[in-house]
Amino acid sequence: MRESHLSEPTAVRWLLIAIAVVFLAMFLLVPLAAVFTEALRKGVGVYVVALREPDALAAIRLTLLTAVIAVPLNLVFGVMAAWAIAKFDFPGKHLLITLIDLPFSVSPVVCGLIYVLLFGLQGWFGPWLFAHHIKIIFAVPGIILATIFVTFPFVARELIPLMQAQGTEDEEAARVLGADGWQTFWRVTLPNVKWGLLYGVILCNARAMGEFGAVSVVSGHIRGQTTTIPLHIEILYNEYHATAAFAVASLLALLALVTLVAKAWVEWKAHESLKESVHEH
Amino acid sequence: MSIEVRNITKIFGEFAALKDVSLKVPSGELVALLGPSGSGKTTLLRVIAGLEIPDQGVVLFDAQDATARSARDRRVGFVFQHYALFRHMTVFENVAFGLRVKPPHERPSAAKIFKRVHELLALVQLERLAQRYPSQLSGGQRQRVALARALAVQPKVLLLDEPFGALDAKVRQELRRWLRRLHDDIGITSVFVTHDQDEALEVADRVVILHEGRVEQEGSPEDVYEHPASPFVYRFLGNVNLFHGRVEGSKIHLGEFSMDAPADMGKETIPAVAYARPHLLDIDHHQPTGRPHFRATIAHINAAGAIVKIELTTDSGAIVNVEMPHERYRHLQLRKGVIVFVSVKDMKVFAQAQSTLGAGI
Repeated sequence: MRESHLSEPTAVRWLLIAIAVVFLAMFLLVPLAAVFTEALRKGVGVYVVALREPDALAAIRLTLLTAVIAVPLNLVFGVMAAWAIAKFDFPGKHLLITLIDLPFSVSPVVCGLIYVLLFGLQGWFGPWLFAHHIKIIFAVPGIILATIFVTFPFVARELIPLMQAQGTEDEEAARVLGADGWQTFWRVTLPNVKWGLLYGVILCNARAMGEFGAVSVVSGHIRGQTTTIPLHIEILYNEYHATAAFAVASLLALLALVTLVAKAWVEWKAHESLKESVHEH
Repeated sequence: MSIEVRNITKIFGEFAALKDVSLKVPSGELVALLGPSGSGKTTLLRVIAGLEIPDQGVVLFDAQDATARSARDRRVGFVFQHYALFRHMTVFENVAFGLRVKPPHERPSAAKIFKRVHELLALVQLERLAQRYPSQLSGGQRQRVALARALAVQPKVLLLDEPFGALDAKVRQELRRWLRRLHDDIGITSVFVTHDQDEALEVADRVVILHEGRVEQEGSPEDVYEHPASPFVYRFLGNVNLFHGRVEGSKIHLGEFSMDAPADMGKETIPAVAYARPHLLDIDHHQPTGRPHFRATIAHINAAGAIVKIELTTDSGAIVNVEMPHERYRHLQLRKGVIVFVSVKDMKVFAQAQSTLGAGI
């Protein structure tokens, strides 16, 4: 039995719950449902055609390519940065932590503009790149660079607190037992953070596939060549192809749903292993 | 293998954890590093293991300088306070870890690893739990896994950091005796850190008492208990009654009573403290002759246990603890509130710096 004087009156409780549910429905569930309804408004046939259109396929391929390059790179960078920050003391550590957070605190559009400023034709390295026939801005490399920049913090941010909480005793134990740095990392450090790592990778991937602002600045919107899924959706929408736009958008919505489920599952697994480690100490 | 540390100093930021510490551990001995928290005992153990690099001084294994050797090359077994078992590995894999990470030309075959791990698990009586995970074990079992893991690589030295610190009293007792037996069986040079004086006195061949980063005293358990070298050691090892006073000429005045001062105290007037263990005080109904004594009122009696513990209040309000056998207690027929005479059978006097002089009883 709940002690009545320790809790809000029943009416207040139900009111708060109702407000939360209505809010959630209006701002999250209805739009999500709308995406799928609009996409399928003219039937499954039109939906499939919209997705099999060459420009749509090109956008999907480019998005996948971007994620396949950006996510593993950020996985490696993130693990290295988190490992260095959590397990060692060195001057400039706090500066590094702040730098890792930079992409979170800067608007994505600014991130894109930085690359234009650096690699664009009028930019610092522009003339040199032009002379050597290397194209970064308004081309695939620029899109990948911008995506890497924007998604950089996800893995590192997830791992740093986890590794700091676990301390260095396990690594010390491995070292005393004769393991070298590489063996310690692969056999002890990495398995200890695997769930946190997976969580970071899922979030990183979702953002890499869904990123709009930074990519939009560096892309140049060349249809079939430099448009990712979000950019392709924007083009379709601006050209009044609402059904096609929603059809492609449903892909991102599905990605979001898959991400949510995967995230919940990883959270649950991580919680389980955390319970074990707490029990252990 | 023998261990020697010479003039070790280790500073963390502003805090000097070890100040010019020197220590020898002969081969095959079981030595306890005893001290309160912050005394530097764990730091010293970690310096020996190579997990901390000393700012000054050297570490020698078998008279060879090992200071520059990394932790992985020192071949020490280290048991961490919180065990540091690898949580994602089974008990078997934990114990096998040290064998699996050996360079390929030294690494034993899978069959040999299997055999060795099971020998070790038999030694720590955990063979049946080989496939369990650390989270499925009790504290005492984890401690034994940690020990088996440390022994797997056949270390020359075994170092244990508060090995029984996180266990409850009964398991602690068992493991203590078990560790002593294990040490006697395999004869490995062992150093363990503890803040529990009973543990150190019971288990170790030799006790090294650390205080504020310095070695305060070292010797056999009887030695340090019976002949403490400083007030700190006296206070730290067991219960003690403390009397403040001053030495004047050949006498020491301790508030309500006086006694002959030790011959080596000098002749000038200096503040002093005197310590007496509770069992070195006696109680009588009549004023005793020949022994220094004072009057006190019985405040509390605890007769549950092997000895009777009596708390008394002196005329000036200070509290004194006395311990006596049950026969003596029954003979005296003591009761709460009774005024008695407390006499001193033996007492240790230390000259004291002026600044720490307190009120006498």
